Amino acid sequence: MIRKLANWFRREKLEASLDRELRYHLERRIADLERSGLSATEARRLAALELGGLAQVQEQVRDVWLSRWARDFAYDLRFSLRSFYKMPSFTVTAVLSLMLGVGATTAIYSLVDQVLLHALPVQAPERLVLIDWKGEHVVGGFGSWNLMSYPLCRDLDRQKQFFEGVFCRALTPVSLTAFGDAQPVTAEVVSGNYFQVLGVRAAAGRVLTTEDDGAPGANPVIVLSYDFWKTKLAGASDVVGRKLLLNSHPMTVIGIAAETFRGIDVGEVPSIWVPASMSGQAIPGFKDYLGLARWMQVLGRLSPGMTLHEAQTGLQPWFKALLREDIHRPDFPVITAERRRHFLNSSLVLTPAPQGHSSLRRRLVEPLWVLFAVTGVLLGLACLNVSSLFLARGSAHEREIGTRLALGASRGRLGRQLLTDSFIIALAGGVLGMFTAPIAVRAMVAYLPRLLPYGNAPNALHAGVDSRLLLFAVTASLAAGLLSGIAPAWQSRRHSLFTSLRERSGTALGGMRVRKVIVTAQIALTLTLVVGAALFVCTLDALMAKGPGFDTTSLVSFAIRGSQNGYSPAEGNRMIRRVDELIRQSPITQAAAIARYPLLTGGSWNNPMTILADKRIETPDDVNLNAVTPGFFETMGIRILAGRNFDNRDVRPPGDPGLRSAIVNETFVKRYLAGRNPLGLLICQGTGPNAKPNVEIVGVMSNFSYRGLREEAGQAYFPFLEGNDSGATFYVKVRGNPNTALSTIRAIVRGVDQTLPLVDFRTVSEQLDRSLTTEHLLATLSASFSALALVLSLVGLYGVMSFVVTQRTREIGIRLALGAQRWSAIWLVLRDALAMILVGIAIGLPLVWALGRLVKSQLYDVEPSDPTVIAVSILILASAAIAAAWIPARRASGVDPTEALRVE
Amino acid sequence: MLILQVVSLEPAHGYGIAQRLDQISRSVVQANQGSLYPALHRLEQKGWLRGEWKQSETGREAKFYSLTAAGRKQLAIEKDSWARLAGAVQLIFNEGGR
Repeated sequence: MIRKLANWFRREKLEASLDRELRYHLERRIADLERSGLSATEARRLAALELGGLAQVQEQVRDVWLSRWARDFAYDLRFSLRSFYKMPSFTVTAVLSLMLGVGATTAIYSLVDQVLLHALPVQAPERLVLIDWKGEHVVGGFGSWNLMSYPLCRDLDRQKQFFEGVFCRALTPVSLTAFGDAQPVTAEVVSGNYFQVLGVRAAAGRVLTTEDDGAPGANPVIVLSYDFWKTKLAGASDVVGRKLLLNSHPMTVIGIAAETFRGIDVGEVPSIWVPASMSGQAIPGFKDYLGLARWMQVLGRLSPGMTLHEAQTGLQPWFKALLREDIHRPDFPVITAERRRHFLNSSLVLTPAPQGHSSLRRRLVEPLWVLFAVTGVLLGLACLNVSSLFLARGSAHEREIGTRLALGASRGRLGRQLLTDSFIIALAGGVLGMFTAPIAVRAMVAYLPRLLPYGNAPNALHAGVDSRLLLFAVTASLAAGLLSGIAPAWQSRRHSLFTSLRERSGTALGGMRVRKVIVTAQIALTLTLVVGAALFVCTLDALMAKGPGFDTTSLVSFAIRGSQNGYSPAEGNRMIRRVDELIRQSPITQAAAIARYPLLTGGSWNNPMTILADKRIETPDDVNLNAVTPGFFETMGIRILAGRNFDNRDVRPPGDPGLRSAIVNETFVKRYLAGRNPLGLLICQGTGPNAKPNVEIVGVMSNFSYRGLREEAGQAYFPFLEGNDSGATFYVKVRGNPNTALSTIRAIVRGVDQTLPLVDFRTVSEQLDRSLTTEHLLATLSASFSALALVLSLVGLYGVMSFVVTQRTREIGIRLALGAQRWSAIWLVLRDALAMILVGIAIGLPLVWALGRLVKSQLYDVEPSDPTVIAVSILILASAAIAAAWIPARRASGVDPTEALRVE
Repeated sequence: MLILQVVSLEPAHGYGIAQRLDQISRSVVQANQGSLYPALHRLEQKGWLRGEWKQSETGREAKFYSLTAAGRKQLAIEKDSWARLAGAVQLIFNEGGR
């Protein structure tokens, strides 16, 4: 094959050689024949006859050199390139269209692939499953999603007939001191068999084993991630065997994990791995990891040959027995008979997890598919545009094509020539798209970590081009090539040889109908994108207009976590009070307060509650809870609507825990109390016969956002500093420029403890922005994509209308000569455009309706079929389209009758 | 196979090969001269023949084909398989004749 291809490039030499060879043959034959007595002409005739035609032999030999289709293709290629070179504006427009389409699609696909599709770089990832609990939980959890207890993971690991192994893991922020400074990093707390089940080796030293996960606190060892070792420890060769401080506890580094392995969460990459037996050190205040608390994700590797379904059904009898056993455990909570029944009905659910477990994936799965669909439509529009351009070129070349047909070119051959053209354009566009995509991906990758509560965790996302992405881009380009070539190729088959030769150039209407259909389709598709963008912009707008319910001007926040830095609860509590006091005294401070949990991070402390009114009320859903210092509501500008604010009565000395008073929000009152007066009622966390309401509601506050702007849950706030709080988020209303205040605050905290890291130190407006990351992403990207779509379809419309005007110049000229008005010439052209726009919109509306249901969950305060949004979108689209059609129409009215009639 | 056999005796040019084929087969095998050249080029493409421009017997430059090592091997294979086929046919005829 290669040699045959090489023949193409030395074909001139081959031709010359063949020519000489055949000539030699003929001359020798003629000479021989003459010697046998034939006349010169007779000999010549006979020799040629014997050979069977010189040209035929040459052609047959050429087929040996390179097969027919390949030779044809090479000729097509050369012809295409030459014709593109001669029509630069056509080529540039077509290539740019596809570059936009392929570039945008590839960029989004890069994220889709990395976040949603890419399997972990571990052994046989296809056998990994996530094991989750379906049914009633009786014990609270902390962490992200799919939470299970550590003992359950141990039990599952023993079910060897189903699993090769089952491991569990949980991400937690820790403070790590390596060679000097303490730095906040993310740790993955894992069961001892984690690396072994995943099949991940060490790059240096060794990885964790089950022996490291023995008695609680007995094995102070950690494994470093390769990236952390390289970037933060400068690849120090002697790090294995050294002791680092994890939350002030000395831990020995036993190894560095393999370079390619970045944990099982693409969105949050751990810097270190800690055995679960050391969870007391990694998660301060967490004592009982062997209890029922749910805090880890459990994943397993199915035994070879075991299907997910077999394992899931096979596990249930064992699981039921386990549940019945659990009920008799001494630490099993006391619950109502009904909840016990629900609990016993729980089951295990297995889902495939070759991509691991990721909260980023959970957040992005819908937005990314929406955006991928949008870019798909954009690519489709680009293809239609190129198609339309080809048709326009085809009409201009009508006579040439007619001539080629008349000379005996087959229609199939002509169609193939057109497809070759479109593939070349598509590949050129695709290659350019490949170069632009990484730029867009880099911007988005830099933006995405804001979706996660612990913004400091690095992620495994990259903007590079790997083989999978390359394959995708090439496939997308080839599909685009086929898609944009198919209409013109089909059109070319319908050529009538006679009409195209008979008609004079410039009057043929070939391809016009197809081009109008294409433009109509473009208008319809563009409408869906414009409406989609309008919906996302409205959503973002509605959320911004709603606001968090408190005043973010000059407000900065930061967290300190005493328990991660070696403070006992009582010491930590004293330290926080000291920092609080100093910040209040500082001249930059207008007001300052503390909350136990930060606002607008997507997470919250939550629990169902029991309310003691004239009867016991149990809330059916979770109430979001927090604890704040007196002065919090004033600092944030949150109004107290009834009762009293927290004051010094609510503050208790360190080491005296217990909740005494609470302030609830309006929603809490409206949703759970059905018109009762909330003041004086007693509440408590949790439900069931054991819940003893003993906290008095002393006030009602206006609603504001805690988890995020979309939140509409009931809230109850308790006083902070009642007891043992040792970690806190400070909210400080500063005077003057917040950015200068940041350095003053940093200095204050340094003054109290030199080594204490400030976590998530930023202005609250920035935090608010971050909480809207998904919405920003969707609004910005869909708006830019729909703007591109608009440009593409306007170019299409403009092209078709210009063509119409050129073709009808003579007709318009005659009409004008016969006394028609200028405006009637405009109308003549515009009427065509209006028909396309109206039909396009009519087709687009049902599409809008269908797509609207897909994006509904991403919207806020706007319906997918909102009439105003749709009307405005139609208005934008229609007015832009009419403007695009107006320019050629104006030109029609400017036709000079005498000129038009003379043109021929 | 015939071409390979002819060339295996001595390097020859296209016309010469055509002549030899004509002679050897005593005009039983009527090879069309026109199909000779595609065949020669196919064999050259496969690497069984090598073509060189040399002085011919008439003093003019002609393209002489000679057998390559791979061509020699191929010829042996084909001869062998032909011999077996011919032998088998012979056996069948003998059987029928008795």
